[in-house]
Amino acid sequence: MSGGGPPRKRNFKIEAFKNRVELDPKYAERTWKVLEHAIHEIYNHNASGLSFEELYRSAYNMVLHKYGEKLYDCLQNTMTWRLKEISKSIEAAQGGLFLEELNAKWMDHNKALQMIRDILMYMDRTYVPTSHRTPVHELGLNLWRDHIIHSPMIHSRLVNTLLDLIKGERMGEVINRGLMRSITKMLMDLGPAVYQDDFEKPFLDVSASFYSVESQEFIECCDCGNYLKKAERRLNEEMERVSHYLDAGSEAKITSVVEKEMIANHMHRLVHMENSGLLNMLVDDRYEDLGRMYSLFRRVPDGLSTIRDVMTSYLRETGKQLVTDPESLKDPVEFVQRLLNEKDKHDKIISVAFGNDKTFQNALNSSFEYFINLNNRSPEFISLYVDDKLRKGHKGATEEDVEVILDKVMMLFRYLQEKDVFEKYYKQHLAKRLLSGKTVSDDAERSMIVKLKTECGYQFTSKLEGMFTDMKTSQDTMQDFYAKKSEELGDGPTLDVHILTTGSWPTQPSPPCNLPTEILTVCEKFRAYYLGTHNGRRLTWQTNMGTADIKATFGKGQKHELNVSTYQMCVLMLFNNADGLTYKDIERDTEIPASDLKRCLQSLACVKGKNVLRKEPMSKDISEDDTFYFNDKFTSKLVKVKIGTVVAQKESEPEKQETRQRVEEDRKPQIEAAIVRIMKSRRVLDHNSIVAEVTKQLQARFLPNPVVIKKRIESLIEREFLERDKVDRKLYRYLA
Amino acid sequence: MCTPAAGRGRVRLNVGGRVFETTTATLASAGRDTMLGAMLDASWNASHDDAACGGGGSAAAEYFIDRDPACFAVLLDLLRTGGLHVPRGVPEATLYREALYYGLLDRVRAARLGDFDGDRLRLAASVPGCAPGDGTAVRAAPDGGCCVAHGGAVRVYNWMLEERRPVYYPGHAPVNDAAYLDAATLLVAARERPGRLGDDGGVAAFSALTGGLRHRFRVAHDRQPRSFTAGALTFDDGGCSFFASCKGRFNEYGIGVWDANTGEQADFFYEPPGCALGDADRLQWLDGTGTLMVATMFPRTDSSFISLLDFRDKSVVWSWSDVGTPASLEDKHAVHAVVMEDGRSVCVINQYDDLGFLDLRSSAGGVRWRSRSKLATSGKTKALVSEEVCYPKLATYGGQLFASTGDTVSVFSGPDHVLTSTLRGGQGGAICDFSIGGDRLFALHSEENVFDVWETPPPAII
Repeated sequence: MSGGGPPRKRNFKIEAFKNRVELDPKYAERTWKVLEHAIHEIYNHNASGLSFEELYRSAYNMVLHKYGEKLYDCLQNTMTWRLKEISKSIEAAQGGLFLEELNAKWMDHNKALQMIRDILMYMDRTYVPTSHRTPVHELGLNLWRDHIIHSPMIHSRLVNTLLDLIKGERMGEVINRGLMRSITKMLMDLGPAVYQDDFEKPFLDVSASFYSVESQEFIECCDCGNYLKKAERRLNEEMERVSHYLDAGSEAKITSVVEKEMIANHMHRLVHMENSGLLNMLVDDRYEDLGRMYSLFRRVPDGLSTIRDVMTSYLRETGKQLVTDPESLKDPVEFVQRLLNEKDKHDKIISVAFGNDKTFQNALNSSFEYFINLNNRSPEFISLYVDDKLRKGHKGATEEDVEVILDKVMMLFRYLQEKDVFEKYYKQHLAKRLLSGKTVSDDAERSMIVKLKTECGYQFTSKLEGMFTDMKTSQDTMQDFYAKKSEELGDGPTLDVHILTTGSWPTQPSPPCNLPTEILTVCEKFRAYYLGTHNGRRLTWQTNMGTADIKATFGKGQKHELNVSTYQMCVLMLFNNADGLTYKDIERDTEIPASDLKRCLQSLACVKGKNVLRKEPMSKDISEDDTFYFNDKFTSKLVKVKIGTVVAQKESEPEKQETRQRVEEDRKPQIEAAIVRIMKSRRVLDHNSIVAEVTKQLQARFLPNPVVIKKRIESLIEREFLERDKVDRKLYRYLA
Repeated sequence: MCTPAAGRGRVRLNVGGRVFETTTATLASAGRDTMLGAMLDASWNASHDDAACGGGGSAAAEYFIDRDPACFAVLLDLLRTGGLHVPRGVPEATLYREALYYGLLDRVRAARLGDFDGDRLRLAASVPGCAPGDGTAVRAAPDGGCCVAHGGAVRVYNWMLEERRPVYYPGHAPVNDAAYLDAATLLVAARERPGRLGDDGGVAAFSALTGGLRHRFRVAHDRQPRSFTAGALTFDDGGCSFFASCKGRFNEYGIGVWDANTGEQADFFYEPPGCALGDADRLQWLDGTGTLMVATMFPRTDSSFISLLDFRDKSVVWSWSDVGTPASLEDKHAVHAVVMEDGRSVCVINQYDDLGFLDLRSSAGGVRWRSRSKLATSGKTKALVSEEVCYPKLATYGGQLFASTGDTVSVFSGPDHVLTSTLRGGQGGAICDFSIGGDRLFALHSEENVFDVWETPPPAII
């Protein structure tokens, strides 16, 4: 404007645009009125006249013009006012209608809240997060919680109503479960804390005292089985209640209350209840009650161990009685059968009632192990039991039945500590069965051997298997012998030889007796044949183990076939040439060992109905001055007469001692071998460790006695396998 | 409306005078928690339903919306097709505003940003800064926004690249590092200045929306709260706790650990002799092994030092340093490090843009430098801006390795790290920092405080 001319008035002037920011001061107030009206209409179920778009836009504009805070605060006030009105109407509801009214208002509030949130959505998205306010929906729930649920007039009434209804249902009344469901769901919607503090906690407390009283009543008037039935029913009822109208999270809590009040608090009393407790259930095989007890007790701490302890002590007690009862010792087969029955009984209880619980099975096993080994004749008896089953031909029993029995026996076998003793006896019994041809099924025998083998390993059964091989080769050899030499033998007596490998069989060395000449010739022919086919072998006749079938003609001409032992045959053959012989004569002619001879003569002369010899003087026992005559007057209905040897099936006391001693002898080298094996790998070891290791290595076969181990160590030191450490005397060193 | 069946489900909308006709299904696809979803909900249409039932005519179902029709057309198109096509005449800011009105902003964002792919990046924007001095760091937010730390302030941008209120550390302490705890919460590490009394520096959480201070994280030594300087920040894989390199005034050097939920100090790993932890300029959590990589690099210290810490038994499980490197190689310093995504090796880069690798499975090995990954162009660029030295930075994402060299970001792919893309953007000079997150790559230039935003466009349909 440096140029001339007056300044012109009509110059452009940019005015400040004052009105733009100065919004109508009443604007916010007016807009809020519209929204407030809408909120009331929504609560009054009169929303159909409202335009959503208009309301949304109004709320949007308020937020846009920085009236967010006002909008939020006004909303809060209006909603609070509405809820106070609602709380009055709920408080006014009478009796049973109270819950209905509460639920109806809650539904209304939820619907209204949803619509209010729709209107204020923009505020929820923008104003609420930046100013850290509570979102509208949550605000609505919080206000409901504070002004309805926590209102002093409603809170206790609500809780009491709910608890009364539940109590009524427990007493058998029918209640409106749908309503209950809605109310508890409302409490959950208000937040887990509301549900837990305002309902769940009092519910659990009331339940605890309810069940405490009820369980006391039950236990006074019910027996154990009935009590458990009631407890189970209550437990199921509570679980059902949770599934119908409580939050799923309550299930664990309420069941634990019932468990504690009904079971844990009365556990010991229940178990030991007179006439109906656990002991009686076990005795009477009450599977259903036992199963119930198991499933209930497993829910509480120490529940199962309580059952287990009672069962174990019961088992040990009965088992101990069983194995130490002098009556049962008389019949080994019955003895083992009773053990098996006991085992079956408890196996069934565990599988039917205790869900095959491993810990119970272990308790059962350890109990059996405990009492079976209390009686040191158990190995013998078990072997005898097997002998009985395999010998008598288990009349009518099928292969499978035998298999089952053998499997059960193997269970008992597993409990044995002295497996080597069992082996000894089993070998004897097996030998008898094989040699007397009394094994009924070769398959059953072999299956038993396989079982032992899988249980104890190859070593344990190698000799038993050797016995079977011997039997087979003997058969082949005899066939071959007769096929090649039949014309040579002519009409002489038929010979059946079992060739037994030395060491495989439990034979006692006994000097052979003098065989009758007829037999001797055949024997010599066989010997010649056998040694001719097998070089470098030695044959020894075990005359104490054989049997013979001989034909005899008696006074009135009647013929009998006598089935006798080899010794008896030798004695009888003497009477072909003489009518009467003194004991001394017989002893001289046969050279049978005195004890065997006595037994053999006793069975020939003193057994009624089988007395083919006559003794003078008549008496029960054989003395060296007796004279024997051929009994012409012998009669029998049977053509075949079996003359047994008087021999105890069960071992007599001295025999038992002898077997025991033999077992002890056999153990010595095994213990020594174990010690040497251990020391060879460890080189230096102290005494206790050796004992522990040896015990560990050998326990599959037997339980070595520490004193014996010590003796073996000393013996090994003497023989310079080991030496004591020069510095530390507790240590042993291996000498290579 | 040829038949009643065709008429059912049809909606007529009058938006700002322009009539749109669409189906309720299209509008309902927006979701119940949007303005359109709510408007069509039964609770707001009780009377309409009555009328519809009675008369059978759906002519009554016309809604009026007092908004801009052009933007609505774009958003309706988005609801119909799932794709976002913005015509020339519609400014993005307006579109975003309208989307926010309808409650569709999240859908716009999802349609706007494709899944991140380092080889298909497109420069979406160059945002000029107005802060004085150099930017220290740029950090990507999980939702596509970012923040730029410089001096005493952190400037925060939402995913629409609108600037929010900046974050100031109390006392305007200089900011060393920033990290997003979530899209709404920003952690800031600041330097303690000498001469100040007590309460200065440290780590604090801020609202990324409003810039307000939420929480200050404290460090206590022997139960005595102490002030400290916080260097680098990082999170563990669950985002439950975070780590910061800390320097206390009384030689209390080490790595602090805080619980991100409670805000309480959870642990402190004191610097053992021969380790540099308190000065670390890079921390990285290894998901697989549960260890923390701590790298203290040249030129902050004379030599570079990298170690892996196991907080469970407070041990250094692996470490490497170039202290003993022969003199001829001495001028080659590792200036940045990143643990590869397989967790087996650490990639380092020196000031001449050579990439090198350290094997984490053996402690003895040195750096295997790879000369062929060096870029021919970067040397030239560097010469141009040599007065402004920006050391290269590294990052990994989605199986790719990213390195900023000069004014470009190079993308290496595959097990042999072959160079597959180079990103060169705005005129801001050398890149001093970059960050990947929320499907975007942000590159901060040293001059002018400009930062570039790289996005992956939606893939071609055919």
